[in-house]
Amino acid sequence: MRKKSSISALILLSFFFISYISQALVFAESSKNVKDYLNYLTAEEIASLQSDIDSIKKSYKLDVVIVITDNTQGKSSRDFADDFYDYNGYGIGTRKSGLLMLVNMQNREIWISTCGDAIDIFTDNRISIMEDNVIRHLSNNDYYSACKTFIRDVKNYAYDGVPYGQYRSQSDTNITYADKVSRRIKSVSIYITALVISLGATLILSLSSKGKITINSGTYEEPGSFVLTETRDDYIRESTTRTRISESSGSRGGNVSSTHTGSSGRTHGGGGKKF
Amino acid sequence: MTSVKEYKCPSCGAGLDFDPPSQKWKCNYCFNEYEKDQFDISDNEELLNEEMPELDSYICNSCGAELIADNTTSATFCIYCKSPAVIKSRFSGRFRPRNVIPFRLTKEQAKEIYQKWIKKRIFAPKEFKLKEEVDKITGIYAPFWLFDCKADGFISGEATRVHSWRQGNYKYTQTKYYSILRRGHARYKRIPVDASKKLDDKYMHMIEPFDYKDLKDFSMKYMSGFMAERYDVESAEAVTILKDRVKDYLSERLRGTVSGYSSCSITSKNINISEIEQSYSMLPVYLLVNKYKDKSHIFMINGQTGKVVGDTPLCLPKQILFAVAVFLLVWIIGVFGGALFA
Repeated sequence: MRKKSSISALILLSFFFISYISQALVFAESSKNVKDYLNYLTAEEIASLQSDIDSIKKSYKLDVVIVITDNTQGKSSRDFADDFYDYNGYGIGTRKSGLLMLVNMQNREIWISTCGDAIDIFTDNRISIMEDNVIRHLSNNDYYSACKTFIRDVKNYAYDGVPYGQYRSQSDTNITYADKVSRRIKSVSIYITALVISLGATLILSLSSKGKITINSGTYEEPGSFVLTETRDDYIRESTTRTRISESSGSRGGNVSSTHTGSSGRTHGGGGKKF
Repeated sequence: MTSVKEYKCPSCGAGLDFDPPSQKWKCNYCFNEYEKDQFDISDNEELLNEEMPELDSYICNSCGAELIADNTTSATFCIYCKSPAVIKSRFSGRFRPRNVIPFRLTKEQAKEIYQKWIKKRIFAPKEFKLKEEVDKITGIYAPFWLFDCKADGFISGEATRVHSWRQGNYKYTQTKYYSILRRGHARYKRIPVDASKKLDDKYMHMIEPFDYKDLKDFSMKYMSGFMAERYDVESAEAVTILKDRVKDYLSERLRGTVSGYSSCSITSKNINISEIEQSYSMLPVYLLVNKYKDKSHIFMINGQTGKVVGDTPLCLPKQILFAVAVFLLVWIIGVFGGALFA
């Protein structure tokens, strides 16, 4: 009887344990924003990360996704990250704002993909700094700290907002010729340039239609007859002004957000590093 | 002595015309060529020094018809028999020119030059490019006063020298001011001033310069085969135009000696023109007057150098078409060409 009860207690315990695990697994599976396909993170860790993410979503209107995998279905880290974000319905608002960190164990590579407002907040510089911070922990196989660091940086930069002088730079490799043409058709500067050139050319040709005077002050001068009899150059006064040299805008490069277009047609920003 | 001179070919008696390429006189019937002193030797042009009376009408020596000419026309053609006719009285006395530059270009060459020139004026209405219009080109010896003079004067003003450098976060700009003065004199020779009211001063000025190497003593023989006008702008009137031009020439010359400054502005100048001497000369010009929309448009070709000037009207539809074409071209290159290299 005692033995039986101890067995049943064991069964009960194991049942509890299994149910707890399975519950934890279910919870882990239900975590929308942390996808750990290699089970590097514990359920508690995932739950904690998810709650951090939820608070970011609420206060900064940015979706945050963490994906840890060793199978990118043959895609590059960039394409996998972009597609994972686009095809799983991530993103807040109509601009689908948010960012995704892919830890690609296949290539030991990390990629941060941004979308919507996040493209402007997370400039190339900031992404590079965030990746350096994350890689420090990944090199020690400390995946939880890596994720925590990532979320902390996201929160800090989201709080700072878009840096002053930020601009986007389109660096598309897979954009077609037709896309480039259509983008240029919409570009106002081409219309203005064409207008200025056409008006300028017409004006120059119109003014040159009469012919011009080809004589000058020397044409009728008797050679050698010009004599300079008096030359005076008297110094009167001088003045000196000073102006502050404004900081050169050459350092704009730090605030660039490079963008490209994903397979879904949506624009993404981002960058990656090996570890 | 007749009042109208017509030069006859010593061989066949037909009219002789001056031929620009050979600089000789050519008979259009028997094609004989003559040097200046090989024909009409008996004619003494010294007689021109005396004033001859203006007559009410002149009669063509060849056919006896009355010559139609207004009162400044000095050489023309009989409208009936096309013979060249030179009206002596209009080259006599005070109207006797001292010098002449004979034509270098034939009428055919002048037409070609004009056609090339007008072809490049893409906004010119097509009426200006028609052969019938171009055929109306006429060679005219235009009356000019050629002035020699001396100019003496000064210009003065303020010049600056600007120097800038960097020090720390500041850019320093130092401006030094100088008072400058340049005084000098120069002599000018044979400045041409239009002596005909009929011909537009502006274009007559624009076809300059003439090459004075070809300047010859005047002879009525050069007039044969061309139109000629006598002056109706007195030399005293022309002097005011001359003075303005020479003042500009000398002050420009003096201004050219101011160097080594960042900027220079002339605030005062005073130039005196003296020792003015004029000589009355005939210079060769091809003239074309086109009527377009009830307005006369003058074209002139320097009969010696071939320089063309003229009052080309602009054809608005052509301008618009051109502007639109350039716009489209630039736009297409910008969009399709630019996308290739973007």
